[in-house]
Amino acid sequence: MRLTALLSMAAKVVSPKGYRYGTNRPWTAAALRRNPPGKKRRKVFVEPIAPEDWTVLRGDTVQILTGKDKGKQGKVTQVFRHRNWVILEGLNTHHRYIGQTGDYRGTYIASEAPILLHDVTLIDPSDRKPTEVEWKFTEEGERVRVSVRTGRIIPKPVVERRDGIVPEQWKDGPKDTSPEDTLQKTYVPSLKTLEEEVMEKMGIQENRRQQRSYWY
Amino acid sequence: MAASSAAGRVLTLCRQLQNVCRISSTSHFVNVTKGQNPVYRGMSPLVSLSWCSSLGQCRALHTTTSRRGLEEFFDHPNNWGETNVKSGAPWSAKQLRAKSSEDLHKLWYVLLKEKNMLLTIEQEAKRQRVQMPSPERIRKIERSMFRLETVVSERETALRLLQTGQTKGRPGAWRRNTFGYVYWYRFKEYAIPWYMNRRYKRKKFYTPKFVQPYIRLRIEKYIREKARKENLKKKAQAKLKERFPDMKVSSS
Repeated sequence: MRLTALLSMAAKVVSPKGYRYGTNRPWTAAALRRNPPGKKRRKVFVEPIAPEDWTVLRGDTVQILTGKDKGKQGKVTQVFRHRNWVILEGLNTHHRYIGQTGDYRGTYIASEAPILLHDVTLIDPSDRKPTEVEWKFTEEGERVRVSVRTGRIIPKPVVERRDGIVPEQWKDGPKDTSPEDTLQKTYVPSLKTLEEEVMEKMGIQENRRQQRSYWY
Repeated sequence: MAASSAAGRVLTLCRQLQNVCRISSTSHFVNVTKGQNPVYRGMSPLVSLSWCSSLGQCRALHTTTSRRGLEEFFDHPNNWGETNVKSGAPWSAKQLRAKSSEDLHKLWYVLLKEKNMLLTIEQEAKRQRVQMPSPERIRKIERSMFRLETVVSERETALRLLQTGQTKGRPGAWRRNTFGYVYWYRFKEYAIPWYMNRRYKRKKFYTPKFVQPYIRLRIEKYIREKARKENLKKKAQAKLKERFPDMKVSSS
């Protein structure tokens, strides 16, 4: 792939004016259905939270503070940073039909609605009670979440990556490089470019002379 | 899916490969005939022993561990028909920085071979109109290769800075065009000096006097736009502050 193409992919995606972020990812057809071109909706004000102040992560257990499931605890399955939303597993649900066709009324399912971050708190793992949380550094220099009430560290949840892998539990397959080989340091700084070093290692000698050229 | 690929498809692949071999053998002809280069053929990602013997041009030494010929374009038979093939993480730039140039060179071809294999799978999946098993592998390989290139260019830049003090690999200069824009002009390589190059001399790297008023207007427009944007930002911030009085962050 060309470098420019890659950089353009890495560049920030600019959403159209008046776009309202929802639970669907912006490039999907479902998101487009909610935000058809030319549609104008009331602006949603989202409290800005700095990325380093964000405390609730996917896989955490949190307690709901408001609404019909007030006081219940559940696992965070999704986090929406654009709207300060989280979705909890099996909580704050409503019921709806999906897959309706002409004579078939569809399947009746419970679907979870997102909850605002304000209506949710993390729980302290020691006594399973809601608590305020702060980011702090340990003596090893690791950044951890600390419960304000008890001073306990709230460990980061172990979650599956998008490709279905839990990095902590990963066992090397046939095509993986072993950790020793990966972390082995073989680089010795020298005043040579990669090409020169490789040519030297392989015994390639360049005897051709370059033609005179002018740069301007 | 590789098992179901037709014989005709394999034949075309063979033909393509033969072309690749022919091209690569001519391009490395200098090295091969001089005989200073026993390992070089071995590093080539596409050519294995069986191909070499049929062409009769290259050396028989091969250092890569897997020698499966055309089979290397396909996944391991254990993974055939699986919907989900698990794979590890891509190489991070930090890990690659600890590797020597030789290792990076080898790793590049390992990655390239894997990418070729994955692209074969992808193409076959497209042909059969099914989902490719674990398509995220391609992205992983691409990221590794991109990071490898980054690391190599970092080393090149460091060396260039040390030896010549130049930050960019390609020479250039700040120049002005007809419309008064100042931009970085990247030099090109020519076979003749500039005073003999009539086409180059036609280029205008200066701004005529009558353009000055327009430059002024342009600057004015730019400043106005900047001020407007800043104002808008301030207004939006005030609105947010009104709604969320105990807001921590200043900018959204």
